[in-house]
Amino acid sequence: MIENITIGQYVPGASIIHRMEARTKILAILFYMITLFLINNLVGLGLAFLFTAVIILLSELPVKYLLRGLRPLLIILVFTLVLNLLFTPGEVLAQAGPLKITKEGIWRAFLMTSRLVLLVLGTSILTLTTSPISLTDGIERLLSPGKKLGIPSHELAMMMSIALRFIPTLIEETMKIMKAQMARGADFESGNVFQRAKNMVPILVPLFVGAFRRADDLAMAMEARCYRGGDNRTKMKEVRVGLIDYLALLGTVLFFGATIATRYINTMI
Amino acid sequence: MIKVEDVSFKYPGQGEDPALDRVSLRIDKGEFIAIIGHNGSGKSTLAKHLNALLMPNSGRVLVQGLDTRDPMLVWQIRQTVGMVFQNPDNQLVATVVEEDVAFGPENLAIPPKEIRQRVEEALDAVRMVEFKHRPPHLLSGGQKQRVAIAGILAMRPAYLVMDESTAMLDPAGRKEVLETIIRLNREHGLTVVHITHFMDEAAAAHRVLVMERGQIVLEGSPRHVFTQVDTLRQLGLDVPQMTDLAASLAKSGLPITRDILTVDEMVTNLSQMATRSNTPASPGGGIKSGYATVLTGSKLQRGTQSPAEAKTQLKSIELERVTYIYKKGTPYQAEALSDVSVEIRQGEFIAIIGATGSGKSTLVQHFNGLLKPTSGRVYLQGIDASAKGVSLQELRKRVGLLFQYPEHQLFEETVWRDISFGPRNMGITEPELAKRVRRSMELVGLDPEALWNRSPFSLSGGQMRRVALAGVLAMEPEALILDEPTAGLDPRGREDVLGLILSLHRKLGITVVLVSHSMEDVARLADRILVMHKGRLVMDGTPKEIFAQGEKLQEFGLDVPLVTTLMHKLKQRGIPVSTEVFTVEEARVSILQAIRGKAND
Repeated sequence: MIENITIGQYVPGASIIHRMEARTKILAILFYMITLFLINNLVGLGLAFLFTAVIILLSELPVKYLLRGLRPLLIILVFTLVLNLLFTPGEVLAQAGPLKITKEGIWRAFLMTSRLVLLVLGTSILTLTTSPISLTDGIERLLSPGKKLGIPSHELAMMMSIALRFIPTLIEETMKIMKAQMARGADFESGNVFQRAKNMVPILVPLFVGAFRRADDLAMAMEARCYRGGDNRTKMKEVRVGLIDYLALLGTVLFFGATIATRYINTMI
Repeated sequence: MIKVEDVSFKYPGQGEDPALDRVSLRIDKGEFIAIIGHNGSGKSTLAKHLNALLMPNSGRVLVQGLDTRDPMLVWQIRQTVGMVFQNPDNQLVATVVEEDVAFGPENLAIPPKEIRQRVEEALDAVRMVEFKHRPPHLLSGGQKQRVAIAGILAMRPAYLVMDESTAMLDPAGRKEVLETIIRLNREHGLTVVHITHFMDEAAAAHRVLVMERGQIVLEGSPRHVFTQVDTLRQLGLDVPQMTDLAASLAKSGLPITRDILTVDEMVTNLSQMATRSNTPASPGGGIKSGYATVLTGSKLQRGTQSPAEAKTQLKSIELERVTYIYKKGTPYQAEALSDVSVEIRQGEFIAIIGATGSGKSTLVQHFNGLLKPTSGRVYLQGIDASAKGVSLQELRKRVGLLFQYPEHQLFEETVWRDISFGPRNMGITEPELAKRVRRSMELVGLDPEALWNRSPFSLSGGQMRRVALAGVLAMEPEALILDEPTAGLDPRGREDVLGLILSLHRKLGITVVLVSHSMEDVARLADRILVMHKGRLVMDGTPKEIFAQGEKLQEFGLDVPLVTTLMHKLKQRGIPVSTEVFTVEEARVSILQAIRGKAND
């Protein structure tokens, strides 16, 4: 149900990965994603699995919990696997009617599915080890050079953080309104798609009215606390870019380089 | 010092009446000022002038000599005058408590090290240090408001303005916040301006201001202000119960001083009088005061009929060993109700009391099938609601449920359409529909002619609540469940809503289940009280039976009505009053009888 939505599910901890600066982790994850799409051979793929495994170990996250994050994607994973398996042209190994399995198909299915799994694992490690607030701070700092180009980095980060703050509140409110309307005989469970959509009006209108009211209140409270945009503002949490951060970036770059190298080794063989 | 000089203010586009009308006021350092007045009297508007959130149309406001109209000084003024608002959910910005407290100092560009130090100090001052890593949505209302206060303290202000910051809290939360601001005032020398609807809170101030139609109409020490009982009543305000009692005793000819604010003052006064009195009452003379011996016209009280007569044997709602587990099968699994059995008969007026989180809301949601028990059975009008094939919608028509702040569920374009939503869902069509809408509007005291075509969002808060109530009544339920229907209202609004519920109960014979935090309301209105504690139904009885067990109630985080406390204390001093007394009127009768020695007339 709606209350089980887990956005920015942060698992507090003190591992090396937890202690890294958010900026480092965001940059590293970008590199990692690019690298995943450069893989084109078994050695490279093995390298990626190894690299991810090392990071999982370093993050000290419960592996079971991490793997559970894959569950919602199961359908997409199976879909990728089957589509690639059956519809890649190449050397035919087995055939049943119009469906055929090719040698290339097996490799592609394996590669694509692995990439997806690794991608999800990597990004989950980021959100599980970084509190939402450091994450938004990290994004703000990464984007801040773009300020001169007109990228409102502070405002974007502020919006994200306020959104995160109010998601639980709004979910609770939605549940309450839903129950209140059910008590007035509203029915959200039957009818076709259009009827159901129409039946949502008694929930959506009060929800929006409430959200606007909250936004007004919050704006007033922020003004009363001297908020006037991102300029000339300090932060309680000082960021210290430490040795770990440099090492992490170095490690990621090495992984990136090694993966590119495997592309050549492969063609040489 | 803050000086408000001859300030007038009118909201643009809101009629001719100014929100503030030539107000002058001086707030000295170290003062604790309470501002009272009904909704729309100008309290909040005045408060927002103190920190330049609003600027006067004429006149001026000087904060330590700084004029709020000067745009260059705005930030300096807001730093000096901190403000905490009404809704605890709508003023916290960050996802972690300490980050939120840091928000103000960050805006002031304070160096990080100092911010950290200020945050620690501020959280310590409101006793919230241990919660600093929590996300705000997991805190109670009172805790959220304390975090909001800490967020202001971290800016090191000289003044703290509380703009109805206790209005949306439960009694425990209100107490927490009030104690916090009193302590900050006494120990930290912070000047406090507290705007409130609760007279017992105002009684804690050094000075009370009463506002009406944008003007300060009464001003002085709490004693001075609250002894003017009649004036305050005319303004739609309450007085502290003990002051009220003193006034009515004096009116009955008892030579008692009128400036009494607390129970202890009343006890001292009355026991002196009792010892002076030359006709001491016969000791141990338990007085059966009975209900409603004397009824004053304006005050609400339960009817003269005894609860037993009101009941028929028809069962309206019956719960049989109901247990409800939240989020079953997840790590957050929690038992919200355990093994609750209760029977509610047709025509009863039942109150449910219990501390926040005791399971009251979960319980009432079983009364109309919004929640299904994890185990146990629920019978509504004799029909097993948990049986397969039973239409819950059908059952919900019979038991109307009004949640807290029901005005937040309004959604239609017009009042008429909103009220007709329920009946339309039941399949009721014209002309019956129009009849029902009109009837329910009349029942809740809304003029159908004037309001049917208005947008519900253009109405006042009190009117919106009535529209929501009419929306449930239009379904013509046999029972009405109300979850804190008076939350957030001013004293007049509270009396109006309670009066309305009582008249529905009497006129229509409707079964009422009232969830409330106010022991006074519960004691004077209900025939029967259910006490919830940690998901269990721990007490079930008449107000007399329940409030005779004050110590047990305290274990459950509850209290007895204030006058009952008074009566117990008087009895301990040897004054033979009845302790089965819950209202000021009953107390007056019993005290007069005891003091004058007419106990056994």
